[in-house]
Amino acid sequence: MDTVNPNLASASNADVHLSTSNVHVWFGQRHILENVNLEFPVNSVTALIGPSGCGKSTFIRTLNRMHELIPNAKLAGEVNFKGKNIYAVDVDPIQVRIDIGMVFQKPNPFPTMTIRGNVLSGLRLSGRHSRNEDELVENSLNAASLWNEVKDRLDSPAGSLSGGQQQRLCIARALALSPDILLMDEPCSALDPGSTIRIEETIRSISRTMTVVIVTHNMQQAQRVSEQTAFFLAEDNNPGYVVEAGSTNDIFRNPKDKRTEDYVSGRFG
Amino acid sequence: MMISETISAPVPEAPWRVRSKSQLVWIVIASTLPAVLSFFISTSLNLPGIAGLVLVFLPIQLLAAALAALVTAGRRGILDAILTVSVLFLMAIMGVLLTSVAFTLVQKGIEALSFHAFYQNTVYITSLTSLEYGGLGHALVGTLITVGLAVLFAVPIGIAVGVFLTESRSPMRGSVRFLSQAMTGLPSIVSGLFVFAFLFLTGLIDRTAVLGSVALFLLMLPTVIRLSEEVLKLVPQELRAAAIALGAPRHKAFFQVVFPTARSGIITACLLGTARIIGETAPLIVLVSYIPTTNFNPLEGSMASLPTYIYAWLKFSTEIANQRAWGGALALMILVGILFTMARYFGRPRY
Repeated sequence: MDTVNPNLASASNADVHLSTSNVHVWFGQRHILENVNLEFPVNSVTALIGPSGCGKSTFIRTLNRMHELIPNAKLAGEVNFKGKNIYAVDVDPIQVRIDIGMVFQKPNPFPTMTIRGNVLSGLRLSGRHSRNEDELVENSLNAASLWNEVKDRLDSPAGSLSGGQQQRLCIARALALSPDILLMDEPCSALDPGSTIRIEETIRSISRTMTVVIVTHNMQQAQRVSEQTAFFLAEDNNPGYVVEAGSTNDIFRNPKDKRTEDYVSGRFG
Repeated sequence: MMISETISAPVPEAPWRVRSKSQLVWIVIASTLPAVLSFFISTSLNLPGIAGLVLVFLPIQLLAAALAALVTAGRRGILDAILTVSVLFLMAIMGVLLTSVAFTLVQKGIEALSFHAFYQNTVYITSLTSLEYGGLGHALVGTLITVGLAVLFAVPIGIAVGVFLTESRSPMRGSVRFLSQAMTGLPSIVSGLFVFAFLFLTGLIDRTAVLGSVALFLLMLPTVIRLSEEVLKLVPQELRAAAIALGAPRHKAFFQVVFPTARSGIITACLLGTARIIGETAPLIVLVSYIPTTNFNPLEGSMASLPTYIYAWLKFSTEIANQRAWGGALALMILVGILFTMARYFGRPRY
């Protein structure tokens, strides 16, 4: 396998606080992901691109141990967060998920809670308290650029929002826990272009204080929001692997691998 | 000129009114003529009401509707007309049946249900005592206690098993599901006999109302399990994932997200389980013999209940005894009605 540069080496290593080494994933007997080595520098945005079924979503779920919830899912390798393997025996998966937040493909606000209740749900669910909840709600909704649209109806049900607003509410909900890292699994694939733009603005502004990893099928989106990109591929029932990773500019303008070039120029996928 | 003509094209005043006058005429004829026609045919043939309805009216009405549809909407309308007529016909029959049951109950039972009937019992009351004396208070109390005890245990255990079936990954789920499905078909008399043999004949429990509660519990449990499992399955998996991704332990994800989402459905599940056992008679006849006195203690002595109260009075042939039985039936219906209304109120979706 002529994998070109599977490591993201663009940032200086001192600034890396999330990295994976030799991550393999199986579902039952099926080998899904092979030998993924990536590094995510502090306050960067990393895009994971690749055709459907190449294991991007599977990979992003290994980064905060959501992977474990899938029955029969197996994992080998290490995911190091702040110098510690998050799969080590003495690590509490709950703390991992508080530090590493996640936004899903489909907007999934809690239907029985109000808008305010949704933003605060992370605190309630992880059994913590905030001294100033009103401020937290306002700051989180502001960060997700939703505050102006909902400030007068914080007590209405979350289901009354539009799809794009619901997704931004889910981002606000994740931000309220002030995670170090935010994982986004195709956050815009169910949304209209207007909502997509707003979410991309949100990503850019939160990446000043947060590391973002985003799975996307939209290559323009990857170019707009990310600083570095990893291209995943799974060929002919083989497990998926990272073909090429590096700065977004290099991947899109100057790819080293033929397959990367074919994919980013739209020749397959 | 062309453009202005296009713009000033006549705008129909009510574009949603798709029926023209001639169509309306056809529809009116097709819906009145069969009724009139079949009325004359059935009376001249001296057919009994139901036979006239099914054998004469229904075919004529179907034919007329199909013809009218053919004229007004073309061949595509025929099936629609036939389905519409059949559904309305069945709906009318069901409506008449339900109203007639409710009406008969009220008509025959209302006299036995004066205010004092709800708190008096039937000590010293014979089958000839006037309705001014005695009542079904003891049976009402008995039903509330016997059924209440069964509900008290069946609801938490049933929901817990439903939760086990949907939220856990235990390999035992298959057999638990199979057993609860098998229990759903348990005939009520078998449940009564089982409790009789297992708890009374072995000397574990005396002949008290608790035996009845146990039998009712066995009947209610599978209903609550099956329905709460179905309702919990409807909660999207994404919501569970979202809660866990926010750092929730699984029990908090369940109590703060999954359960509230399924709440109204789970209340319905408990309600349907209660409705299944509240009028259940067979196990009570086997296990808890009817007494005319009021007993508040399910652990001592026998206890009356509404179904056994009705059964006890039906054994007499006097007019008054019959009226008392009807009164019991009406009281049972009212009780079920109150329970349903309460459950609808508390189970309504919050948003």
